[in-house]
Amino acid sequence: MNESVQHGQSLIAIDVGSANTRAHFFDVVEGRYRFLATGEVPSTGGAPAFDINLGVLEALNRLQELIGRTLVSSEGLHISPDNEGGVGANAVSASFSAGQPVKLVTVGLLEGVSLDSVNKLAGSNYCQVVGSFNLNDRRKPEAIIDSICQSLPDMILMAGGTNRGASRSVVRLANYIALALKLIPEASRPQVLFAGNESLAEELDQLLGALTRVHHAPNIRPSLDQENLTPAEQKLRELAFDVQAKRLTGLQEFRGLAEGELHPSAAAMGRIVRFFSTVVDPPKGVLGVDLGAAHTTVAAAFGGDQRLRVFSDLGIGGSLSGMLAETHLSQIMRWIPYDLSDEAVLDYLHNKPLFPNSLPTSLEELAIEQAAARQVMRLAIGKSLALLPPDAIYPLPGTVPWFDRVLVSGAAVSRAPRLEQSLMMILDALQPVGIATIILDQNNLSAPLGAAAGLDALLAVQVLESNAFMNLGTVISPVGRGRGGPLLRIQVVRNGQKEPVVDVHEGGLRVIPLPQGQVADLYVQPLQNVNIGLGPGRGGWVRRVVGGAFGLVIDARGRPIQVPSAFNQRREALLAWQEALRS
Amino acid sequence: MPNSPAAPISYMQPLIRLRRTRRLDTEGEVLVSVGQTVASGEPIARGTLAGGHLMLDAARALGLPPERAQREILRQPGEQVEPGDILAGQRKVGARQLRAPAAGTIAAISEGQILLQVNDERSFLPARVPGQIVDVHPGYGATIEFRGAWLQGVWGNRQLAEGYLHLVGESGTQLLTADQVDMSLRGAILVAGRCEQAQSLELAAQVPIRGLILGSLATHLGPLAAKLPYPLILIEGFGSTPLNSEAYRLLSELENEVATLNAQKSDPGTGERPEVLIPVKDAGIPPEALPPQSFRAGQSVRVLVGSQKGLLGEILSISLAGVPLPSGLRASAAEIVLEDGSQIRAPLVNLELLG
Repeated sequence: MNESVQHGQSLIAIDVGSANTRAHFFDVVEGRYRFLATGEVPSTGGAPAFDINLGVLEALNRLQELIGRTLVSSEGLHISPDNEGGVGANAVSASFSAGQPVKLVTVGLLEGVSLDSVNKLAGSNYCQVVGSFNLNDRRKPEAIIDSICQSLPDMILMAGGTNRGASRSVVRLANYIALALKLIPEASRPQVLFAGNESLAEELDQLLGALTRVHHAPNIRPSLDQENLTPAEQKLRELAFDVQAKRLTGLQEFRGLAEGELHPSAAAMGRIVRFFSTVVDPPKGVLGVDLGAAHTTVAAAFGGDQRLRVFSDLGIGGSLSGMLAETHLSQIMRWIPYDLSDEAVLDYLHNKPLFPNSLPTSLEELAIEQAAARQVMRLAIGKSLALLPPDAIYPLPGTVPWFDRVLVSGAAVSRAPRLEQSLMMILDALQPVGIATIILDQNNLSAPLGAAAGLDALLAVQVLESNAFMNLGTVISPVGRGRGGPLLRIQVVRNGQKEPVVDVHEGGLRVIPLPQGQVADLYVQPLQNVNIGLGPGRGGWVRRVVGGAFGLVIDARGRPIQVPSAFNQRREALLAWQEALRS
Repeated sequence: MPNSPAAPISYMQPLIRLRRTRRLDTEGEVLVSVGQTVASGEPIARGTLAGGHLMLDAARALGLPPERAQREILRQPGEQVEPGDILAGQRKVGARQLRAPAAGTIAAISEGQILLQVNDERSFLPARVPGQIVDVHPGYGATIEFRGAWLQGVWGNRQLAEGYLHLVGESGTQLLTADQVDMSLRGAILVAGRCEQAQSLELAAQVPIRGLILGSLATHLGPLAAKLPYPLILIEGFGSTPLNSEAYRLLSELENEVATLNAQKSDPGTGERPEVLIPVKDAGIPPEALPPQSFRAGQSVRVLVGSQKGLLGEILSISLAGVPLPSGLRASAAEIVLEDGSQIRAPLVNLELLG
């Protein structure tokens, strides 16, 4: 994009996370939007402050000190569309992921069809499914009704029936909801969002409307082989905000500050991933992962078709217990190059959720935390694979599909003391296949930029193209079973000059320098029956590869990556892989 | 110059005044009145959300579509019925009818279906904090004022009990072992530095003791601790960190006093933490909890994680700019002088103020 900004607009983008609150400043420099600085403080939604805006104000104070510009005074935040510069900004956008997830009961006609779709819908936001039932539920109806009452959800999310399809069965399920609602005192009754057979709207209003507020969204399963979540996701976002605003002090005022432009951080990040997917060559897609303290978000998009999944039980802070509950310790130990006892690692991991904002102070603690970060992301991507669009193409069962770009944010990854630690975490956790560019959101801008895109799309595009995001490099990861020996032969052509051929052996990592901003063409030839995205054993030209912090990285460790289980070999392998990136 | 962010506060106070509001999730019935004194386990409200329902399908019993069956239902929500009572259908010989299979109350009716509540399984809301009722929230609960000593922990197994405090050993480093647990401790709340044996915890349940306060617990015992029938509170967390000196001093001064162990789950959203409450009679009007405040030089702090976990000290200075840590990370940090006179640097996010 070469658009030049004619009339400079400065923008503050504020993101309130469960652990940190950040205020980012963007302004026009030499005709293009640039990210300038971030003010960051711990979030204040919980004890002892109980008001998110205290953290917002403090982050703005930090920001104005950094940029030497008055943003806040006793009159409040200076935002004016015709701002002449020097004071305040022209616009503000906001995103948030703080607060407890919204409790949902999901209801669908059939498991595997509408119930799956409604659960996917629930997974698109900061929600926790506390109960679920469908037509084939083996429990007695009274048990289902009692379970709704006992879980006391904030909302009931219901789908079922294709348009002009099943109706009696849907009404039967709605009747269970009606009976449960009658048992719950009026002030505590959950609202209902119905995204099923649209011809039943009036009947459901009659059945449930006198008991609670009933909202409608277009059918998420208009036909058996069609799924359309997007309009219902938007509706769920609005309703979830209302629930969260009642619980999170200051959220309404925060929205007011952004003149209504407040987005869930996950959806805002999804917007950036969707945008990227429209500029890469199909059929490859774009993957975005945000590893937060309380949630992990996975967004994947293929040709503009984006899927979003928020894991409210997976995070690197308060939600670390979610990962521990489904992880064997060996899955974490395999990434730690220190001779630590199981007990020491478990102590650290079980104490971390008690003090979710705490930081590792020693190298050993950092290694434990980074190993845990890998496992959280690995679980999240594993659970997301089934939700990806049908366009996604997988080289082998169990691998991720071909992605052109992988974008990762979250302080545990982006703030690692050394860049090779960030790249290793990403490669070990997500295990991309084929040829993919790895982008590190080092300033945690994905969500704020996604929110800002609603105000100014050009700002988002230009900042994405700037160095606000760090291109770690292009990674070539062949998949398929090698037989030992050389796996790939690579010829780099830079400025029309052929460089010496490089043979890459199976089992390790290899870096070919290509500095940030430089461009090269590559001829990649598999020497065995492995696939780099051009077909098994097939090679070819890869044109205009753009350099990054690590240049070209060939990850010949295979998929899935096998880490030796014995400590000495494990340590040797882990250190060798890290060393390969340092060279 | 911006301030440091609001600091978490951990209370270890010999005398404090607290007000706690306890509310039902849904409207129910309040069982206490202003001025009344309550014990921690005493119910202050009763919920209306009852379990134990039977769903009776009048449409199926009468062989009618739901909307017609609805018209044939003879009862209203709230009515009491006895076994065999006719709930739907005509009162004539040979007519199809739906009869009550058990005694109960009609809880709800919808679309030709009747929900009969056969058991009263309504929940009670315990005070969890001993003290005096100072306000009643009609239909939901009450506010209780507590006066006495207050010690907050970081992990609790959600149980609640009262008992007299009994210290095991002579210091906060004392390991709780099975041979220290005997029948003479029946009814006691034990205080020890650490615990590494499942046998100690299990034996304590057999005695039974009324509760356990530990500095820390071996991590592998976490699942067992979560299922214990008595409350367990960890003051420092998981691992082998001893009870900090201030907590040990406070608990030893109060040995043999009756304490409440409210081992509720830590919730950063509400600020609730597991806690030990020891009422003090004739306490006068003690001070209230501190307002939110930032870290600053001169404050007493506790280190929450890392190799200095559980140590207490005083802040000498604060740097809000990113200070390098041995891990390679950078963070706002404080220089602290510890009780033994040594100095350390710790990130602010790894500290808690002592209240």
